[in-house]
Amino acid sequence: MRLLSMLLLGVAVVLSGCASKVDYGDAQARETVTTDFGSTDLQMIAAKMVDDMLVFPPIVQMTQNRRPVLFVDRIKNKTTEHIDTESITDTIQSKLINSGKFRFVDMTVVDRVREQLDYQSESGLVDPSTAAQMGRQIGAEFMMYGNLSSIVKRDDSTKDVYYKFTLKLLNIQTGIIEWTNEKEIRKTRSKSLFGL
Amino acid sequence: MTIYRPLMALLVALLLAACSASNKAQIEVDEDGQPVTDVYSNNSLLGSRISIPDLKQKRVGDLLYVQATLENDWKFELDFQYKFKWFDADGFELAPESQPWQQVVMAGRSQNNVKGIAPNPSAVRFEIWVRE
Repeated sequence: MRLLSMLLLGVAVVLSGCASKVDYGDAQARETVTTDFGSTDLQMIAAKMVDDMLVFPPIVQMTQNRRPVLFVDRIKNKTTEHIDTESITDTIQSKLINSGKFRFVDMTVVDRVREQLDYQSESGLVDPSTAAQMGRQIGAEFMMYGNLSSIVKRDDSTKDVYYKFTLKLLNIQTGIIEWTNEKEIRKTRSKSLFGL
Repeated sequence: MTIYRPLMALLVALLLAACSASNKAQIEVDEDGQPVTDVYSNNSLLGSRISIPDLKQKRVGDLLYVQATLENDWKFELDFQYKFKWFDADGFELAPESQPWQQVVMAGRSQNNVKGIAPNPSAVRFEIWVRE
């Protein structure tokens, strides 16, 4: 009888261990599941870049009375991981637009915008007085681009990952880099004897 | 005030229950543009170990730029997170989801300056929250 109750208890413990649960968490919470590039890294990079850019004196001066137009080129992913670098630049772009200091043109939708313009001007279906005019778009003054690189080192018990994100703002007309900054991130994973 | 007191007590209780100690500092600008500084902390363990001896602010262009000096009053290393919350003149929080928790590791009995820039020009007040 005692053996049976122990057995039942054991089964109950095993079954409860198999129960899965879905829950919502804080999207801003620190994520340290693995040393791979994660949401916390993305948020830290975007926050650092935007904060630094908005307080850089020549940028402050430049945005005092006007909102310069930028376009995002791309962030070269030089790490060995697959990282959606567009997601990083999207966050940076959102923060910069919401600061009220910059405006952006989006080069990823040029073809679709052209299609729409052609439709408005050539299809004959759109009232010409409301149709968007060709040749009225604003040219970008600055290009935003950068790199994401990593150095990974490991031995039997430790894995160390170092990320470096570099962002640059280049004046398209003069070729001058008006602003640049880096964010370094170090993540270490060490195995302990008892998995603690 | 009588309404706020139980609310604050509830907030403190919730924070303690969630084991995420919080410490809050805020700075306000009065009608003459002079900063009015208040530092609040609850009784939690982390709150008792961190103090904010200095708060500085200036306008960069028209954005509020803040530097807070955090002090670890404990003799051991503290590993915690902080975030800025920004509010407009009417008390509405600005871009609440775009302010990430930032990690900071402070050696025992050391000071560290953390900086924050308002997400847009309408920010006039901020709070710093910390948690483990």
